[in-house]
Amino acid sequence: MTARLRSLAARWRAQAHLDFMWMTRDLRFFLINVVADVILNLAGVTAVFLLAERFGGIGLWSRDQIIFMLGYAALVRGFLDVGFGYNVLHISRRIGRGQFDHLLVQPQPLWMGLLTEGFMPFSGCWSLLAGAGITAWAVVQLGAGFPAEWWLLLAANLLASCTVALAFSFLWGALAFWAPAAAEEISSRAVNFLYQLKAFPLDGLSAVALTGMLTLLPVGFVAWYPSRQLLGIAAPQLWHTPLAALLLALVAAIVFKKGMKHYAQTGSQRYIAWGHRG
Amino acid sequence: MHRPDRSATSPGDIAVELRGVDKTFFQRQRSERFRDVLKNLFRPTIREIHALRRVNLAIRCGEIVAYAGPNGAGKSTTVKLLSSVLAPTAGTVRCFGMDPMADRVRYVRRIGVVFGQRTELWWDQPVAASFEWKRVVWQIPRRRYDEMLAFVKELLGIGEFFHTLARQLSLGQKMRADIALMLLHEPEILFLDEPTIGLDVLAKRTILDFIKTLNRERGVTVMLTSHDMDELEQMAGRIVLIDRGRLAYDGDFTELRRRFGDRRHLTIETGSAEPPPLAGVRFTGSDGNRHHYTFDAARTPITALLQQASAHTAIHDVETHRARIDDVIADIYQDWNADGD
Repeated sequence: MTARLRSLAARWRAQAHLDFMWMTRDLRFFLINVVADVILNLAGVTAVFLLAERFGGIGLWSRDQIIFMLGYAALVRGFLDVGFGYNVLHISRRIGRGQFDHLLVQPQPLWMGLLTEGFMPFSGCWSLLAGAGITAWAVVQLGAGFPAEWWLLLAANLLASCTVALAFSFLWGALAFWAPAAAEEISSRAVNFLYQLKAFPLDGLSAVALTGMLTLLPVGFVAWYPSRQLLGIAAPQLWHTPLAALLLALVAAIVFKKGMKHYAQTGSQRYIAWGHRG
Repeated sequence: MHRPDRSATSPGDIAVELRGVDKTFFQRQRSERFRDVLKNLFRPTIREIHALRRVNLAIRCGEIVAYAGPNGAGKSTTVKLLSSVLAPTAGTVRCFGMDPMADRVRYVRRIGVVFGQRTELWWDQPVAASFEWKRVVWQIPRRRYDEMLAFVKELLGIGEFFHTLARQLSLGQKMRADIALMLLHEPEILFLDEPTIGLDVLAKRTILDFIKTLNRERGVTVMLTSHDMDELEQMAGRIVLIDRGRLAYDGDFTELRRRFGDRRHLTIETGSAEPPPLAGVRFTGSDGNRHHYTFDAARTPITALLQQASAHTAIHDVETHRARIDDVIADIYQDWNADGD
């Protein structure tokens, strides 16, 4: 166990070094990258923020609660950007481009490669910083003086929300094992779908639509559902999001494993040299 | 210089063993006719591609084996089977007694793979960064890493571009860097799938000399695929030819020439622009008074040809040389194609 953790830490450290060197190879490039990321992240939450500001909140949500949810959503994106860059989150690109073989010839379990190879703590951290800033500001505005266990639940729910997004991407991404060219971009589409809708409060949707948003297209678990639980807008059943994450991760793991078995039979006849480590 | 511990294997031990290996791919066939749209969707015609059929092959530790065949013969499929990337449809694949799929993590520590059209280098990073990354992921002890790095730097000359971004390297530099990267963990066997594809003569020679040095000095087993037969003949004592998934020849180059015809070129210079008619040869053209032929030395002795020619005209000069192995193999492929048609 300790040896495994040491291996993980060593790999993350190596990836962090690669990322730092890549990020700082050119000052102008570095600054453009930072500014672009910050603008992109703020743009993603601005519409909902402006609506909340204009109307003093949305539905059951006060303005500050909405800001908390936006911060939570940005944090989820931030963690995914930091942990799963280099097309690990967009796994269908690696599979569809025939680059999965690179992982198979490395002497480590596949999960270890996937968990470490996309670590980008410097170039990918801007969304995380923005999310942390927005969340901290919202918590101060809410003035609720949250206890220590609330912070632990926040951390557990953030982890669960990230798992939901990752599992959703891998679940769809596994299609690329069967249709490499057609499904090359399917993970990106799945992730973009979550990112585009993650900042919207879903209260008021019909039961059917809401069920869909919490099962087939689990965008509700990325920010809305855990935020309303954490803020006490709904009855606080804070294990719902972790449970959903666990179930979705399980399904994704089964489908991905099936895809891997198929890949072992068919391999990839299509190789694109750029991208997976670009 | 550190020498890898090869006590577990010795020359003569079997490194690679393929037994009755089949690999079948299924290819969906589409009709272009509009009325077949539904059939294409719901009941498509599936064509079976037998990439490998009942392949039996053994490679001993310390051997260099050339693995050749026309496009689509099954060479890359074999390399993928031996690299933990593909599983066989039937039969068993073993390397150092291990199943590459079942023992993947343990197995890939002992092998080195280069696919000529792919790179293991981090694209947007200096070459050095990929090497350091490999040291961590392969858990190579620092001292051995430093020794091996010095070794590959010296022999492959990668020092001059060690701090250049991988995307800025020329094809030859990239291949040298890829081969160096592959060797850092001191693999016992190398699977090289067209490692010299697209390289200039000098880059090719550097890489081939290096592989020979590795084999000679460190006892590394090598399985090499290429379309360049001259290159394979220089490198390997043994050639395995594969055709449409079946092993068609397994032996040395001399025997290959003998078995498939000892083809020679003959040039006769006479006093006339008229080529002397010779039986048992193929006339390939004249160049003034120099007349060119090809013939199979195993069937037609050269002395008989010279007698025929001198009976017809005065001979001023004679040149003869063996056909390049490329030409021999091209003839073999052509025969196979004709048999298949």
